[in-house]
Amino acid sequence: MLKVEEYKHQASTCVRCSYCKMVDLNWVKSSRFSRQCPIDVRYRYNLYSGHGLLHAALAELDGKLDFTPKLMDALWHCTLCGGCDIRCKRNLDVEVLQVIETLRCRCVEQGNTLPEHKMLAANVKKSHNIYGAAHGTRFKWMPKDVKPAAKADILYFVGDPSCYRHPEIAQATVTLLSKAGIKFMVLKDEWSSGHELFATAQLELAKEMAEHNIQAIKNSGVKTVITSDAEAYKTLKVDYPKILEKSTEDMPYTVLHITEYIDQLMQDGKIKFNRKVAMKVTYHDPCNLGRLADPWYHWEPKYESPNIAVGKKWRRGYDGIYEPPRNILKGIRGIELIEMDRHHDNAWCCGYGGGVGVAFPDDAMWTAGERTEEAQLTGAEAIVSCCPNCKDILGQAAEADSTGMKVYDITEVMLRAIR
Amino acid sequence: MSIPKEAYQTLQSIVGPEWVSDDPAICEADRYCSLSDPTDEKRRPGCSIEPSSTDEVQAIVKVANRYKLPFVVTSTFYSSGTYARKENSILIDLKRMNKLEIDEKNQYAIVEPGVTFSALQADLFKMGLCTFVPGCGGQASVVANTVNMGDAPIGWRHGLGYQRLLGVEWVLPEGDILKMGSLSNANDFFWGEGPGPDLRGLLRGCAGHQSKLGIITRIGVKVFPFISEELEPSGWSYHTTMMLPTNRFKWYNIRFYSHEDIINAMFEIGRCEIALVVMTVPPIFRGVARSRGVGCGGFWEYWKEAGPKLARKQEDLRVLLYGIGSDKRLEYEEKVLLDIVKDFNGSAREAPCQDETNFMAADAICANVVGGRFASEVSYESINQATRYSKEVDKITDAHRPPILQEYNTTDWICPYELGYVAKMECLRMAAAEDNYALQEWKRDVEVVCAERGAYALVPNSDVFGPVWGNYPEKEDKIRAAFDPNHVSSPE
Repeated sequence: MLKVEEYKHQASTCVRCSYCKMVDLNWVKSSRFSRQCPIDVRYRYNLYSGHGLLHAALAELDGKLDFTPKLMDALWHCTLCGGCDIRCKRNLDVEVLQVIETLRCRCVEQGNTLPEHKMLAANVKKSHNIYGAAHGTRFKWMPKDVKPAAKADILYFVGDPSCYRHPEIAQATVTLLSKAGIKFMVLKDEWSSGHELFATAQLELAKEMAEHNIQAIKNSGVKTVITSDAEAYKTLKVDYPKILEKSTEDMPYTVLHITEYIDQLMQDGKIKFNRKVAMKVTYHDPCNLGRLADPWYHWEPKYESPNIAVGKKWRRGYDGIYEPPRNILKGIRGIELIEMDRHHDNAWCCGYGGGVGVAFPDDAMWTAGERTEEAQLTGAEAIVSCCPNCKDILGQAAEADSTGMKVYDITEVMLRAIR
Repeated sequence: MSIPKEAYQTLQSIVGPEWVSDDPAICEADRYCSLSDPTDEKRRPGCSIEPSSTDEVQAIVKVANRYKLPFVVTSTFYSSGTYARKENSILIDLKRMNKLEIDEKNQYAIVEPGVTFSALQADLFKMGLCTFVPGCGGQASVVANTVNMGDAPIGWRHGLGYQRLLGVEWVLPEGDILKMGSLSNANDFFWGEGPGPDLRGLLRGCAGHQSKLGIITRIGVKVFPFISEELEPSGWSYHTTMMLPTNRFKWYNIRFYSHEDIINAMFEIGRCEIALVVMTVPPIFRGVARSRGVGCGGFWEYWKEAGPKLARKQEDLRVLLYGIGSDKRLEYEEKVLLDIVKDFNGSAREAPCQDETNFMAADAICANVVGGRFASEVSYESINQATRYSKEVDKITDAHRPPILQEYNTTDWICPYELGYVAKMECLRMAAAEDNYALQEWKRDVEVVCAERGAYALVPNSDVFGPVWGNYPEKEDKIRAAFDPNHVSSPE
């Protein structure tokens, strides 16, 4: 949460150029898919955009605006995909996403948490996961023929969605690691990463999750955490240091997405995908693995006139994980990878993030439907992604719009390609 | 006060309740637009409405007249002056009107106001056609920009944007629909002239209504043939570019060592009818270009150190050669250019064959990178007149410095169009946010000199230019009274 002065500085720096709504202009490949912000495209009012929310934030801070129904509607419909944020950083460098997150915090502080989001917190309090499932069943998905080590150099952080909703991703991940001969461990007492709590501005509980998991990782003695969950990846890499007012590099662990890890193994010749997977695919960049995944740099605001942010390191969305999944897909015999019009840092959000999937499933489906349509136009038969919630909502959308498009997590594809 | 209930309900019945809102947050977010005069009071509109068709726009305008409610129009919010100055204004946002149709064979496009340049350009590239993205940015509305002036560096060869305006569909301030050009006879946007008097001048021009007289809902816009291969983008969003095919394009950065030489070279390039872009490169552009990838914050850090070193006595020209139709044409243009450079004692250096800002983005690179801490005054005149005028602007600036910041040598940008017939001169000056007032005072003093010299300002201040230009505001008022008797269309 930004401190008030910095919040005001950021919000008032906007020059209203509307770039926050667009795909990077040099990367626009068609008029149909030329825009970036899901709420802008769906709701059209200026309020439903980075630019609009910045102005609402300023007015709310100055006491000229309350949390009206429409303000809350726009604020909670935002998927926090970060498209606006990195687009602004082409030029203006406004921390659009941090302003929106701070506005959410102010909204919550005034008692405006959505019931669906409160339920997430209640579930986490009760059973350390957002679904309210029994904590004791967290690792129930573990295949019988896979035995995590009691002690290893690598720790697999699974995350709530793969533990409880998409166990096939967790199963594919551990099977893959086993087949590759990688010794790994899991946290015996893994709690929710807190991703949804951070997104819905329930920060006290989110911090509790962070502190627990960090301590558990420390206790395990590992330095390298891998995860197959893009949301957990971003949370461990960005949100944990952020809430603790540290930088990513100061954390007691390094977090790698499974694709980074496998890509490195491929390059080192330690893993080979020797089975053909004949499939034309397109890759969907999860926001949390792509443009939101730059390392976090803690910075105490300090400015010199006219506008020099002294000692600040910027997060512009280019340090995320874009190439490893693509390298893997290109390295599998039989796979033809075709890009959608919007890809890499210009990727369109799947629609699930920011608490939208939980509170507004119809909106999440609409956004995902836009993506499956874009995917279908490439001629691909399947969408591959790296995030359980992306898989979930894109899969639902593909089923609903009868495109026949299949949706896979990359771990499932990798598993098919390895003997 | 608020919009009368009956009027609001009528608006709801026109567009559907979800597309009109008087929620304070919706309206607050519509209070501002870009590039507005900071000293102007901006009011929160009484409601925001999002029509999807010309019929809906017409109906909204009629309601506005019936209830004497002022209306203001926008589409991308990247615009100058589209904010409510009066209480209870209806903010008409045309973003939903984003239909785009391209007549490939006849080389024109029909666009609604929600269509941006980059969106149109992307579709045109697929057909071996192109338009030219204005200097303000690819996120600008094609309709709004073309109707107004359509200033783009590629205007060197193809002229200013307004000359590409063809058939026009115009909802007049009282709600009547006027179709202009060939559209007046048939459902055909192909031709912009007649029959009868050409009314396009009412829409724009140096002293026109700046699109504040009613609402343009559709236009035909001429497009141009282009190379058949699509330009490939490259890079991350903080620093992206379009790769240009090397057999058809070549950029040259050329340094001249006297003012006369650079002016004469520009005229000569025009006389020889070569190049797609010709423009001077003020030091701040070099600063922005070299600090690309470090954003606004990084720019200022860079500028503090590098600005003084970038200030030189030399004059830099940037030229994009384009082999229209063939590789041979490029070879020819290059030979001609290098001869001209030699004749005027310049030194030419080939630059990377890529383009960040002329084909797709053109994101007001300078204005936005410096974080809005700038003011610009734009005028049109001959190349040599513009450069002389630039010297006077320097003197005015010195009188305002500090707080106007040091821009190290001239920061005036000269961008000639129509093969050198006319030149845009854009004077850019910067100040810290808290010194914005000083930029406005500077602007005013520059306008006075601009008016005295007979230059044509892009957005003339009527108080300054009116007395010099035959009291045109009085004539404008008469036109407005005839077209807009209820004074509801974007009233000042």
